[in-house]
Formats: sequence, structure tokens, C-alpha cells
Amino acid sequence: MDTSQYLEIFLDETKEHLQNLNTQIMDLEQNPENMDTINEIFRAAHSLKGMAGTMGYKRMQALTHDMENVFSEVRNGTFKVQPDMIDVLFKCLDALEEYLENIQQTTEEGTNDNEDLIKILNDILKNGGTVNAGGGTSAPAAEQSAEKAPEQAAAAAPAEGKTARWQEIKISDTERTLIDKAHSDNLKVYGVTVYVEEACVLKAARAFLVFKALEKLGEIIVSEPPAQDIEDEKFELTFSLIFISSSAKEEVISAIKNVSEIEEALCEEYVVPQAAAPQTTDEPVVETQPAVPQETAAPAASTPAAATPAASAPAAAKPANKPANKPVVNRTVRVDIEKLDNLMNLVSELIIAKNSLVAATSSDGSKSDLGSVNEHIEYLESVTTNLHESVMKVRMVPIESVVAKFPRMIRDLSKKLDKKMELYMTGEDTELDRTVVDEIGDPLMHMLRNSADHGLEPNDVRVANGKPEVGSIFLDAYQDGNNVVIEVRDDGGGINIEAVRNKAIERGTITHEQAEGMTDKEIIDLLFLPSFSTAKKVSDVSGRGVGLDVVKSKIESLSGEVEVKNKFGEGSSWIIRLPLTLAIIQALMVVIGDEKFAIALGSIQTIEDVAPEDIKLVQAKEVMHIRGTVIPIIRMNKVLDIPPREDENKNLTVIIVKKGDKQAGLVVDELIGQQEVVIKSMGKYIKVPKIISGATILGNGDVALILDANALI
Amino acid sequence: MDEVKVMDEQKRNESLNRPVERETTQYIVTRLGEEQYGIDIKYISNIGRMQKITRVPKVSEYIKGVINLRGEVIPTISLRLKMGLDEDEITKKTRIIILKLEQHESIGVLVDEVKEVVTLDEEHVERVSYDKDEKSRFLSGVGKVDNKLISLLDITSVLADVVET
Repeated sequence: MDTSQYLEIFLDETKEHLQNLNTQIMDLEQNPENMDTINEIFRAAHSLKGMAGTMGYKRMQALTHDMENVFSEVRNGTFKVQPDMIDVLFKCLDALEEYLENIQQTTEEGTNDNEDLIKILNDILKNGGTVNAGGGTSAPAAEQSAEKAPEQAAAAAPAEGKTARWQEIKISDTERTLIDKAHSDNLKVYGVTVYVEEACVLKAARAFLVFKALEKLGEIIVSEPPAQDIEDEKFELTFSLIFISSSAKEEVISAIKNVSEIEEALCEEYVVPQAAAPQTTDEPVVETQPAVPQETAAPAASTPAAATPAASAPAAAKPANKPANKPVVNRTVRVDIEKLDNLMNLVSELIIAKNSLVAATSSDGSKSDLGSVNEHIEYLESVTTNLHESVMKVRMVPIESVVAKFPRMIRDLSKKLDKKMELYMTGEDTELDRTVVDEIGDPLMHMLRNSADHGLEPNDVRVANGKPEVGSIFLDAYQDGNNVVIEVRDDGGGINIEAVRNKAIERGTITHEQAEGMTDKEIIDLLFLPSFSTAKKVSDVSGRGVGLDVVKSKIESLSGEVEVKNKFGEGSSWIIRLPLTLAIIQALMVVIGDEKFAIALGSIQTIEDVAPEDIKLVQAKEVMHIRGTVIPIIRMNKVLDIPPREDENKNLTVIIVKKGDKQAGLVVDELIGQQEVVIKSMGKYIKVPKIISGATILGNGDVALILDANALI
Repeated sequence: MDEVKVMDEQKRNESLNRPVERETTQYIVTRLGEEQYGIDIKYISNIGRMQKITRVPKVSEYIKGVINLRGEVIPTISLRLKMGLDEDEITKKTRIIILKLEQHESIGVLVDEVKEVVTLDEEHVERVSYDKDEKSRFLSGVGKVDNKLISLLDITSVLADVVET
């Protein structure tokens, strides 16, 4: 069976369920008695199991099945949630996440059976049952029977209320002919009605499997709803079909019931309703029609099959070549329908704007129309600006998806490090570009771990220092202009500047003399160097010195920056500043020599017109003096290997750019103006120098390079 | 049922292919200076006229820069410089061939002229013994068409070389 077309949905929903489970189990740890939480967990586990089963991930299914069993007993009140159990459950979730990761990379779930976890779960079932059997009060028991009642009823009386709906199928003359033909060939004609379980997640997949199973036994001639609708999941919990086969009725039913999550399959020999007698004698009609219903039934069922081998073949081939390659499944963004509607509106406005432009330019009498053309261009401009904003909004997702896993992580760390700590988060709904959100998870995790491990003191030290025993870590996110700021803060000991300084000298990173002259800030910056760690002990949480430099380079690759605020004894805060979006930036277009370049507006402070004699030489380097500060001058034509222009004595155009508290003046030949540019990747073939951060396509179709002013300073 | 159908189609294809015994490959013949080079047609996604190439500073000499191919920014290299020939001379006949290798991004290649498409079977291709010089490092063989000799480019190794440097 092939279900790869559902893989994306599966991954998406599984992630959601896992995250949900994580949150709910965290909640359960706090309120072990909360019936709503338990029910929610049970439902999520159940859906997970069903989905994993559908997709053929047996190991995942087995594990979720046992988890579900445990929850089911908890729900029934057979035993209560114990702290140990929570730990086991979290381990199970980790194992499931591992499966999911494997599936995303290779479409296979991997070979880890997680037998130990399954065994523990089963032990819980056994022991929990015996230990707490008497403890189960009557209230939950009543609840249990109440909840079980509908299920039992459904199981005991499957046919109740479930009618054989195939009689309702309207058959055309074509089918009639086929049925008659089948009868004359000594084949049996069955009417089949299939009921899918209410909790079934991928109904279409189930239906597809049923079709597939039946096609092994015979031929489906018509279905209600039509096969296309079934494939598109446009049906309730039931569908019916008429089926020609040589197999016995029992075989047909068991074939259908082999498909999981099928609640009931009804099958009887089909009797052609007599109401409308076949009377068409028109030969051509009969002749042209037969192909139609057959084809709608068969190819509709076969399209997924035909399409998926093609899809799964490269999917299977890819991981073989490059196991560490991108996930096989495309990344998706869930979009609010309202945002899409807005986009649709704007696109239609765009078309109107285009049409009116065409009308304005094609009509003769050029002079009189010039004004109206300008008017239309203005209109077009406002539409495209709105369109841009809306598309950007579609790409924006709340950082919640990333930070939601952190409370769980802190809880685990708290146990592992044997420190009491609490994570407080605000601003989870802050939105960022999807590409950025995907990338910031790891750096944030690193910083939180740092805070938990290095930042917070052990509990006894905290008490001795007059701080509350439980350490606090804060994760705050908020928007600040065109940036999003994410702040990781703790009320721990802060960075010990002296310790860092000594460590740096000890490691030979800096000399004694250098150390003397360095400011606290410069010392802290040392922490971001590769393989620098002041932790006395290397733990598996942190302290290997691979953390902060990775954090920094990652944030910088997202055009963001990291800033550290430190108060020794009171804690430190790590501030990440990220641009709202990466795809489109405001840029200043400049000309150097005869080439055009874009410089991101964000880094530009001012633009100065400087007389050549105002540029002085200090230590053989050009600098200029402006408003009390000395700023080094960078001749862009030299950096970019462009021959200088002739007019040496003219005033220079200097763009003052800023990175942190450093400044530099870039000398360019001409300014064109401010423009929104779309950043395009330059591909992997060229190893682009650091000063070039990308390329963009100008209005005339030419490519212009984007200069990264930060790399110049 | 569907699988059976697929099988049938495969069989039919096989039977269609049966009369052709030898493997044939189609090559686009391009001119670099006085010499003719063949590029396997399966790697070529597009052949375009010369357009403005935006220079990229501080990269290897043979990388001419980047071009705009329908909204994508594509690097473009000079095949002449890569093969150790003289600098390109841009004429009306100069073409940019866009190559697309599996699992790689597109790349543009400057050639002096695109002449024709030839079909060569294995019999007409001679595997050359490899000298160590720049040119023959990138050749997979020499094809013979109507008394002409066409050097067949091993595009994969040309581009692998680009990626590495």
C-alpha cells in the first residue's frame, strides 16, 4: 500500500499531536486528577496510533498503542497518575519524536523498537492495575461505564442504525448492462456499504485501501459518493458501492474489514431495482457510455497509486545518496483563510490595475493620457505594496511552534541537573518569518540550557545568597520596529568576568597585556569564540564550548545579532535581535564605477558629502572626522576591484554604516535611491566573498549584488 | 489492477526499444574557438542569447558572474577559461547554455556558438587516454561525425570542479 501522498499531512498532524501531548502531560504532572487533560491525552494518543497505523509505521503504532492503553486505564480510574509514570511518558514522546524525525528524513520510521519502553508501559498496566485496583473509587468507575457505554454499544450492535445504503445508488443503463453481463458470466454482483470509524483521521486513505482490496477480488462499477469525491474526502462516515466479483460474500467482507478503522462493512447480493426498466435501444448511446463509469471508478482509485510510486521512488533514492540531505517532505505553512482571501482580493485589484494601464496606454492621444497613466501607476504601486505586505503576513508564523517545547526541556533539565527552576515565557504569539522561526529553535535551546546549567546557581547557593530557592528563567519575545527581540534572562549568578578573563589568558586566547585593556563587554564577547567554555565540569547539558559560537553564527546567518547584558551576582540576559523577514529588504541603491549595488538600509546611519581634503591619514589609513567621531573610510571600488573614476577632486559620497558601536564610511560614486529589493540566493557554485550577502533583480532585469556592510567593518 | 497496467506499459516500452541495440546519446555541438565540443543533451535545460552578466568580485577568473534567468539568479562560467583557452570574445553568436544536473542548481556556461544536435552511438565514440592537462581532464571521449571530430565534455566533472574551487 502506498500512502506517501498523505505523508505531509501525517507529519504535520503528528507534530501537532506530539506537541499537544507534551503540553498536556506537563499539565498532568501539575494536576494529576484533571479529567479533561487525561481525556485530551487519550484522544491525542489514539489519533496518533490511528495515523501511524494508516501510514504503515508499525513500531510507532505499537508504542502509541501501549501508551494509549495506559491512558485508557487512567481515564477509567483503574489507577492514578504517578510522577514516575510522567517520566516514562515523556520518554515515550521522545521516542515518538525520533520516529517522526526519521520519517521526515527518509520516509522510514527507523528500526528502533523501543522494547524497553513498551515493557515499562505494560508493567505499569499490570502493576498499576493490581496495586490500585481497590483504590479506584466508584465515581471514576461510573464515569468509566458511562464513557464505555457508547463504545460497547457500537461494538455489540454494529448493524444498528447502519443501513445498507447501496440500494440508494442510482444506477444508469451502462451499469445495468454491466450487471447483466456479470450475471451472464456467472459472476456475483454485490452491494457494499462501508462505515468508517468516527475517530478515523484519514478517511480518504481508508476508502482508498478498501477500493484497493476490493479491486483485487473483482471490479467496482459504481460508488456513492463518486470515487473522485471519496478520494477528496468529500463523504461522511460511509460510502457504498456496487461490486462484481467471483468471490463469496464473506471473502468480500473480510477483505474490507482487514483495513483498519473500518467500523462495519455490509455486503449483500445486489438486486437491480425494477422501478426503471432498461429500455434504451439506442446503440450509439450504450456504446459510447460504458467506458465512462468504469473509468471514473477505476482511475480515481488508481491515481494515488500511479502518482505515488513516482513520488516515492525519488524519495527513497534521495536518502540513499545523501542521508543528511533536506527532509523529503516540503515545508508547509498553515495559512489563515482570511489572509488568503485578502490575497485574492489584491490579486484581482492587480489585474484591474494592469488592465487600466493597458487601456490608458493603448488609446491614442498620448499627451492627454499621461496624467492618467501616472495615476494608474500610483494605483498599481499601492496594490503591489499591499500585496507584498499580505504575502509577507502569510509567511509569518508565531514563534509559539518553537518555544512550546521549552517548558518540557526545562523540566527535564531541572531533574537532570538537580536544580529547581521555573521557565516563564511571554510573547509566544510574536510572529516571525517562517524561515527564521525554523532556524531559531536550536540557538534558543542552547541559551536556555546555558542559563539553566551555568546561569542558575545550585539551590543551596541561591538560598545562601538570599535568593528564592527556585531559579527563574525568562523567555520574552516582542516586536521592536522592524525587528523581533527574543530575550533569554535568568536570575542566576551572572557571568563572572574575572573567571572568563583568567580562562582566556590560561587558554592563550589573549595575553595578560591584552586582558588588562579589555572592557567587560569585550571579555564577554570572548565567550562567543569557538571552543571557549568556563564551565569547570563538562556535562552533557553544556560546557563543551561548542555552544555560543554556533549560536552567534546561526543568528548572524539570519541577519540578526546577539547582545549580552550582565550583572554579576544578579543574572544575565541574552538578547537576540532578528529581522522580521529575510526575503525582502529596504535597500539603498548605489553606483560604484559603472556597477550597481544594493546596501541594506537597516545598517545605514547617514549619508555625507565629504570634500577630499577632509579625509586624513591616520596610521596609513584613511579616516574622517565627523560630529566629534573619527570614522575609518573604506573605498568601495578598492574592495570590489573596480577601477576608480577619473574625477578625483570632486566631493566624495560617503555612506556611514554602523555595526554595534563601530562605524565606517563607505565611499561610493553615485546614489540612486531607496528601493525594496527581493533577496535571491546566488547558488552554491560560487563561493561568494563575505561582503556580498546576496543578489537581487532590478526593474530592468539586470542582477545587482547586495553588499553586506557588516562584513566590511 | 493498476500495477498490472503499469507493467503492461513497461513491457510495451521495452518491446519498442528492442530494435535499438546500441545505446545512443544526443549531444549539442558547441564551438569554442576553432574546436567543437559536445555536451550531453540531458544536462541542458535551456540555451539563451548573451545577456548582461553581473560581475561578482573576488571569485575565480572563469566565473563570469551571475545572470537573471526568469527571476532566478544563476551563476555563469566561461567554458573557454575553464578549458584553458583565451578569454571569451562576445559576438552575436555567443550563447549561454543553462545546465542542470540532478540535485544541483542550474549554472550557465558561455560558449562561442551552438551549432547542431548530433546523435552518436557507442561505436562512434572513442574513449581518449587521459593526459593530465586542463583540457582533457574534462573530456569523456571523442565523437566522430562525418569526418569531423567532436570532443565530448564530461559535464559532471567540469561542474564538480567548479563546486570544489
